[in-house]
Amino acid sequence: MIYLDNAATTKPNENAIRRAEEYLREKFYNPSAMYTEGYALQGELKKARSILLSSIASETDFEIIFTSCGTESDNHAVFSMAKRGNAVTTSGEHSAVYACFVELKNRGVIEARYAPLNKDGSVNEEKLLELVDAKTSFVSVIHVNNETGAINDVNRLARLVKAKNPRVIFHSDGVQAFGKIPFKLAKEVDLYSISAHKIGGLKGVGALIKRKTLTISPLLYGGGQESGRRSGTENVFGIMQFAFSAQEKFASFKEDFTRLKEYRRLLTDGLDKSVYTVLSGENASPYVTSISAVGLRGEILLHMVNDKGLIVGTGSACSSNAKNRYSRVILACGFDEKTADGVLRVSFCEKTTEDEVRAAVDILNELGRELKARME
Amino acid sequence: MKKTIIIRYAELFLKGKNRGFFERAFEKNIEMALTGISHKLIKQCGRYLVVDFEEFEIEEILTRLKKVFGIHTMSVAYETDANMDAIFETAKIVCRQSGTFKVVSHRGDKKFPMTSVEISRELGGRLLSVYHDLKVDVHEPDFSVFVDIREGGKALVFGEFVEGANGMPVGTAGKGLLLISGGIDSPVAGYMMAKRGMNVDCLHFHSYPYTNMQAKEKVIDLAKTLAQYSCGTHLCTVSVTHIQEEIHKKCRPELMITLLRRFMFRIAERHAKRIGAQCLITGESLGQVASQTIEGITSSNSVIEELPVLRPLIGFDKNEIIDKSVKMGAYEISILPYEDCCTVFLPDFPATRPKLKDILREEAKLDVEGLIQTAFESMDKLVF
Repeated sequence: MIYLDNAATTKPNENAIRRAEEYLREKFYNPSAMYTEGYALQGELKKARSILLSSIASETDFEIIFTSCGTESDNHAVFSMAKRGNAVTTSGEHSAVYACFVELKNRGVIEARYAPLNKDGSVNEEKLLELVDAKTSFVSVIHVNNETGAINDVNRLARLVKAKNPRVIFHSDGVQAFGKIPFKLAKEVDLYSISAHKIGGLKGVGALIKRKTLTISPLLYGGGQESGRRSGTENVFGIMQFAFSAQEKFASFKEDFTRLKEYRRLLTDGLDKSVYTVLSGENASPYVTSISAVGLRGEILLHMVNDKGLIVGTGSACSSNAKNRYSRVILACGFDEKTADGVLRVSFCEKTTEDEVRAAVDILNELGRELKARME
Repeated sequence: MKKTIIIRYAELFLKGKNRGFFERAFEKNIEMALTGISHKLIKQCGRYLVVDFEEFEIEEILTRLKKVFGIHTMSVAYETDANMDAIFETAKIVCRQSGTFKVVSHRGDKKFPMTSVEISRELGGRLLSVYHDLKVDVHEPDFSVFVDIREGGKALVFGEFVEGANGMPVGTAGKGLLLISGGIDSPVAGYMMAKRGMNVDCLHFHSYPYTNMQAKEKVIDLAKTLAQYSCGTHLCTVSVTHIQEEIHKKCRPELMITLLRRFMFRIAERHAKRIGAQCLITGESLGQVASQTIEGITSSNSVIEELPVLRPLIGFDKNEIIDKSVKMGAYEISILPYEDCCTVFLPDFPATRPKLKDILREEAKLDVEGLIQTAFESMDKLVF
C-alpha cells in the first residue's frame, strides 16, 4: 500500500515511540503529584517543551501550552482572543479556525471578516490588510494551506498587520507547516498552533505556541496544569513522543524539503494532462499537492486507486447536500464546481520514496483514464 | 422494595386456536430483547411479568421492551405482601399527594378476604387520611392507583401505564425482503411490516466506487435500527455499478432510473425466493419521486414474476413518514448526507411517465441475465 495522505495524518515515528515507551510503562505517574516519581516528570516535560519550541521559535520570547490537538489549539487562540470589534481571517482557513469565526459571529461577539484567496490558495495580502482597521482585535492566517499547500508568509503578514494596528493579536495555524517548512517565528506572531500527528507524533497531542508576554485566558478550567492555561493531566507519553519525533523531523527537514520538491515535480510532470489539472502553485509546500480530474468525481477516483493500493485524500466529502459537496477552500481559490468535484489531495511525508511517487503517478493515470472512459 | 414489570399484550387474544403459536413467538421476542439482562419472564393469565432483575436495569428493560411488537402497555409495579397495611404503605409511594384519583383493584387470588370494591374503598380512605389535598373522582381522575392481589400472598401496586409498540409479535406473519436504501422511507416500510408480525430481511444496492464506505455504514446502521424491532435481520448488499455503467453506455439517459429499478426488482425477487421470503417490501410512496409515479411503479413492478410487492407507505405523506422514522429512531441516521445510490449517472430530467415499449426497446440492448448474474457474485451478507 502506498500511503500519500500524510496531510491527514502520518504514520507514528517508531523510534520516537520506543524512546517514549518508558513514559507509558514505567514513568506513568501524574506529573502534578508531590512525590518524587511524579514531580520528576515535570522536568521531562520541560525538556520536551524545549525541544519543540527551540525548533521553531526563540525560547526567550515564546512558550508552549500543550493541548489535545491542533483544533483545540486553534479554538483556544480564537475564543480567547477574538473578543471585540472585528476579527479577520482568510477564506482558506482550516475549519478549526473557520468554524470558530462563524460561531463567534453567530453569537454576536465579533464581526467576522474573510480575506479572499489567490488562485493557488494563498491569501490575497493586499485585501487582507484592507480588512484590518482600528477596530480589529484578532487576525488569523493559516501558514500552509491544508488543501493546496499554499504557503502564506505569516511573519511578514504579522508585521504588516501590526504596522496598521499594533493592538491586533496575530495567530497562525501552523499544523501543516511545523517540521516541514524552514521557518522561525517572528516576534509579531502572538500565537501559533501545531499538531503532533502530522509529523510522526500521535493523534491527541497538540500545542499552542504563545508569545510569553501575552496573557491568554484558558479554554479548559480545572487542576491548573500548563500554568493554569490548559487544565487536564498532561499526556506525558504523547508529549514525549511528539518531542522525539519532532527532533528527528527537524534534523532532516531542509533535505526533506528539497527532495520532496523533486518528488512533487515527478508527480505534477507525470500526471496525464488530459485527465488532471494541478491546482497547487509552484511555490506550494512540497508536502501537499492538490490536483483535479476536472469533470470526474474525486471521491470515485479515490475509491478506485484505493482498490489498486494507493491511498490519497480528497478535498471534498461525497455528500448529496450540494452546499457541502465541494471544498470551500477550492471554490474560494476561484475554481469552478466541476474542478472542485474532481479534487484529489496527494500529500507526502519525509519517508515517501521516489518509487512510490512513480507508482502513484501510474495508478492515478491508469484509473483516471479508465473512469473518464466509463463516464463518456 | 422489589419491583416487577407487567407486560400486557395487544391483539393476541383475537387469535383463538393459534394463540399458543402467537404466545411462543411473543415470549421468544421478549427474551431476545432482554438478552444480556438477568431476569425471569413469567406467564400469567392474560399478561406476562418480568421479575428478578436489578433495579438499575428498569429503564433499559422498558426501552428495549418498547421495541417489541405485540406489547400493548407495561407498568412498573411494586411487589408487597398481600395485606392491607403493606399495600397501604406501598400505595403511599405510588400515590401523588394532591389532585383527583381513584383506586382500581383486581383480585386474582379469590381467597383474599376482601372483594375488589372493598379493597379500593379501604385503600382510598386510608390514602385520603394521609394526603389531605387528594380528592376521589372515579370518572375522570388525574391518576389512578392500581392494586393487584396475586396468588401466593403477594400484591402488585402501581400507578402508571407505559405505551408499548402494539402490533403483532414478529415471526407470526411470514418473511419479507425489504429493499433498503439509506433514505428515510425504506426503514419505515420495514418497521411497519415488522409491526404486523413479519420477519424482515434486507437487501441493499450500492454503486461502489461511485458511492462510498460511509454510505454503506449508514445502511448498516439503519438495518441495525430496524433489527431492534424485527428481532434481528440479515442484510445483503449487492453492487449494481456494472449495471449502471452498461445502461449509461447503451441506453437513453432519461430511462436510467427506470431501467435500474427493473434490475433491482429482478435481483430482489430472485434473492427473496432463495432465502424463503414470501414478498418484497419497498418504501415507495405514490408520486414522491419520478420513479414512484404509477407509471414508474408499473414499469418496475412488471418484471416481478410471482411474489407480491408490499408498499406499506404508498398512501403516506412525507411528513407522516418522517414522524414514523423519528419514532423508530432511524431519522437521524437517514438524514446523514451520504449518497446511497450513485447520482453520477442520474439524468437531469428522469422520465416521470416511462412507456413500457420504450423501456423494453432500451432493455433489449442489455445482457439482462449476465448483468444479474454478475450482481449476485458481488453479494455480501451481514447478520444483526
